[in-house]
Amino acid sequence: MTDIKNIKHKAFLYDATRCIDCRACMIACSVENKIPMDKTRIWVAGVGLKGEYPNLDRASMVYHCMHCEEPDCMSACPVGAYSKREDGPVLYNKDVCIGCRYCMNACPFGVPHFDYNKGLIDGAFIDKCTMCTQRIDVGLEPACVATCPTEALVFGERADLIKEAHARIAAHPDRYIDHVYGETENGGTSYLILSHVPFSELGLPPLTSKPVKEVSEAVMGLTIPFALTWGAVLTGVTVGVHEYNKRKENAAKQTVEAEKESEDAK
Amino acid sequence: MKMQININPRLRLSPLVMVLLALMGIAFVVAMIRYINGIGAISNLSYSYPWGFWISFDLFTGVAIGSGAFVMAAAVYIFELKEFRPLLKPSVLTGFLGYTMVVIALLVDLGHPERIWYMMIHWNHTSVLLEIGICVMSYLTVLAIEFSPVFFEGIQWKKTAHFIHKFIMPFVILGVVLSTLHQSSLGSLLLIQPAKLYPLWWTPILPVLFFISAVSIGLAMIIFESTVSARYFHRGLESHLLEKLGRAVPIVLAIYLIVRFTQLTLANDLQYLFNSGLMSILFWAEIILGSVIPLVLFSIKKIRQSPNGLLVSAIVLLIGMILDRFDVSWFAVRHPDPLTFIPSLMQFNAHYIPSLPELSISIGIFSAGILAFGLIAKYLPLFEEEDGHHTASH
Repeated sequence: MTDIKNIKHKAFLYDATRCIDCRACMIACSVENKIPMDKTRIWVAGVGLKGEYPNLDRASMVYHCMHCEEPDCMSACPVGAYSKREDGPVLYNKDVCIGCRYCMNACPFGVPHFDYNKGLIDGAFIDKCTMCTQRIDVGLEPACVATCPTEALVFGERADLIKEAHARIAAHPDRYIDHVYGETENGGTSYLILSHVPFSELGLPPLTSKPVKEVSEAVMGLTIPFALTWGAVLTGVTVGVHEYNKRKENAAKQTVEAEKESEDAK
Repeated sequence: MKMQININPRLRLSPLVMVLLALMGIAFVVAMIRYINGIGAISNLSYSYPWGFWISFDLFTGVAIGSGAFVMAAAVYIFELKEFRPLLKPSVLTGFLGYTMVVIALLVDLGHPERIWYMMIHWNHTSVLLEIGICVMSYLTVLAIEFSPVFFEGIQWKKTAHFIHKFIMPFVILGVVLSTLHQSSLGSLLLIQPAKLYPLWWTPILPVLFFISAVSIGLAMIIFESTVSARYFHRGLESHLLEKLGRAVPIVLAIYLIVRFTQLTLANDLQYLFNSGLMSILFWAEIILGSVIPLVLFSIKKIRQSPNGLLVSAIVLLIGMILDRFDVSWFAVRHPDPLTFIPSLMQFNAHYIPSLPELSISIGIFSAGILAFGLIAKYLPLFEEEDGHHTASH
């Protein structure tokens, strides 16, 4: 296996059929990244029991940042606090964040979290998964992956993981839904998900392959051309109206004068 | 010895002023608690509801009701409809105060208010919010310039006032361009939430709808504020001008309705009109109050000619259109709560009801705006024309 440092396009693969809901990933993340007890960058949503005895079923979903290929948070942030690293992670820079929370609105997965209980002195910031850059840069797996006892979470090259996911589906078509969530969703994500229950039941939004930011960015692209055109049009109208009124006034004056003259002539 | 003591009667604190001051004081104390203990200490904003009442009321409504300034500036300066001059100064002032209130509210709502100026140096050109930020900051400056002649006249610096007046045209055009941009961009702000905003509201032409409705809100606000201030300050009302202004409202609203329903038809969203429960009710409430009723009322000459008719029509329009702003930025936005997502129990389980301290911030800022308008109206030549035209003639 290649060294993690050298993986060109890092990604996660989560397999819901393998997750036993032990939540060790949550602990590992909080310890590794020194997250206070009342906060978390990773969370497990339990879908609860389904079906009737003896055909019971349950599923859980491990959430953290999807590290989108086309991050909407990055598109929305007015001051450019977000960046997408070439090898995968979507990162947040708290030094420029103004705390507007537009990223939280933009993210279709509800990933960025905000410090609502911190004042000006402590500094209220956004917090989100960093793909454990401090670990992957020295060749270690992210904490959640390293600690997962059932290999429900694995880490590697995105293209390889997509192949692996399809291979698992092909090997057990009865066990999986024939779809890898994140392969195309929202323009592709670096967090890929396999499941035995419908993805909507895991709380994953139904998204197309177009990132949600697409229309917003297209409209934004029109801003400068529109502003210049509109400014020119308004200037034209201003000058036009002014000239028209002036001429009308002059014409009125002339008629008055002409009338006067003709009266004088009489 | 005869001593004359002049107590300026205008300095006496009327009950209304005292109430406004008290509301401002409460807001100030609440804001201090927020700065010390965080936004969560005073508001019900959450992970699923990062934006709430402050954004819907102070930002969306505040900017919308400030639109009278650019509508009037365009009418008077660009189209040279000089008869409307008496309405210009009060509407520019409303705009200036409205936008100042937006900025003050943002200073509470932002996690890092001390960094608000970062928007001027860190530019992410794909962000709609950046465009709004830059536009609002620039437009506030333009409004200050547009209003400054009134101030300089008030302190008897007539030459300065005249000088600024000479060079006002570029600023007026810039102001109209900036207004067009950010009034529409408030709608664009929601474009990034196609999966969250209900389809009755989400459309790529949201910015166009926002601009058209902003024009109607601007017209209604001028009618509203002229009528109310005329009553409060016992001055003559520019009834004939307001009647003319009222004639424009049905045209704007008709365009709005046509664009809106054409869009819904083309996007195949008519299916949601009647079977979406609360969403359908909100939709029809804003369409009927904001567009249909005012369209009818403003079309009737008798109503336009009666000050009360104008006022009521304007208020109905404002309620409906402000409801639209609340729908788009709050009521019609579906927020899943991923932290506690249990889909088998409920689809969208996030709730948000603004807290009392949260409301008190907005109320306090609004009170400050009313007080500022009152003070300026009393001490500056807001309702007089510089060339001595009597505004209440005809």
